[in-house]
Amino acid sequence: MRAWPFFVLVLVAYVAPSRAFGDDPSSVIVDSDVLGHDTMRPQVATVTTRLSAYSQYGTGYQSKSGPLLGPGSERLTVLQPQAEVVITQGNRLTHRIWIPIDIITAASPNSWQPAVDVMSGASRKTEAGSLQWTTTYKADASSQVSATQGLHLENPFRSWNAGLGVQHAFADQNTVFSAGFAGILDWFDRFYVTGARNGRTQRSSTMGSVGLTQVLTPTTIVNVNYGLTVQVGELGNTWNAVPLASGERGPELLPSERIRHAMVGRMAQFLPWNGAVRLHYRLYADDWGILAHSIEGRLMQRLTPRLYIGALYRFHTQTGPSFFTTRAPVDAPLRVADSDLAPLDSHTIGAKLVGDARVNGMAQSLHYEVGYDRYFRTNDLRMDIVTCSIGLRF
Amino acid sequence: MKSRLALLILLAFAVEGCAAVPQNRRARLADPMMSLDDEPLEAHRRQKLYDSREGAAGGDGMASGGGCGCQ
Repeated sequence: MRAWPFFVLVLVAYVAPSRAFGDDPSSVIVDSDVLGHDTMRPQVATVTTRLSAYSQYGTGYQSKSGPLLGPGSERLTVLQPQAEVVITQGNRLTHRIWIPIDIITAASPNSWQPAVDVMSGASRKTEAGSLQWTTTYKADASSQVSATQGLHLENPFRSWNAGLGVQHAFADQNTVFSAGFAGILDWFDRFYVTGARNGRTQRSSTMGSVGLTQVLTPTTIVNVNYGLTVQVGELGNTWNAVPLASGERGPELLPSERIRHAMVGRMAQFLPWNGAVRLHYRLYADDWGILAHSIEGRLMQRLTPRLYIGALYRFHTQTGPSFFTTRAPVDAPLRVADSDLAPLDSHTIGAKLVGDARVNGMAQSLHYEVGYDRYFRTNDLRMDIVTCSIGLRF
Repeated sequence: MKSRLALLILLAFAVEGCAAVPQNRRARLADPMMSLDDEPLEAHRRQKLYDSREGAAGGDGMASGGGCGCQ
């Protein structure tokens, strides 16, 4: 008699699940119930927006907003909203759609009365926008290929670009090799130095790069990258002025080809006090005679599991091309007075605060970032930049 | 002497790099602070700032030019 209750219990335990999973075929647990459906239905993974504002002061000999022989004002403001949406399709396909917009006011083109604005004949503001679409296909856990294409619109300026990239991981994902190839075609109005339009012109840029990323320790990762860019066509904006020895302004005269090389080394090291340091060095050289070194260091400190702060310092130094001048002979075959191409040093200091917050609802988390940068050059240019970003992770 | 020291340091990094770090020991590397790349919109902002104000743009596989005609 004592065995009956035990026997009934065993019977119930056996029969109950068999009724639940055995009688109804739709209730059988399959892989997709646990791992999710491998459907090609697009799903929004993240939505990110960023708004940046720039305020620039300074002078340069290419600017026409000032004395005839310069230097003229380089006063400029930029409001730059950006939006990015990342969409996944199944486990292998990811689309990134990115729309940056620039709203620019600049002193040099606005200095002419009536406004003969190289960037916008209709107003003193230029609105420029791009649409960029990148699709990444993950072939397996170690390999992926991506394709990108984009369009840039500006009042007298059109630009198209396309590119391909591959990435492969080795050694249990400790080493990642990447390579990319891209091309850009710019088609834009040509101007006389007086501001009148002079038909259309174009240039092309062809780029290739290879990179290697290596995990060195559980807290150290490094990356090296080499890239080559070949540009052909009209390589100036045709608007910039050059002060001439005759006391007049003349147009820039530039080579029609430029080959640029850049080598980049980067390192990130996690610090024992829940911080991180990142170092970045870039060596640049081109056949116009510009040699540049840029070094950047960032220090970050996590304050809470969802919040960290960061500080940045960047130093850049460059030589100028042999034909850079602030007073050119009238018969010089090549000449440029653009302050961006002058021999110069520049410094950037910055700080930012980055965090994530839990949100109740359709999104998993809210990502936010606020930052400030101060950029200044040794040849009279300085800029304040404020940026903030908000993103939703679904 | 300095070049030998630099070579030694490089060699030490290279040798260390040969030892694979298992995936379960890479939690620190997954921290967003350790990302070698900026968040894409921040990277674009920063790249455009430097590309349009310094004569050393491009060459590193990223787009140069494509706007403002200043490159």
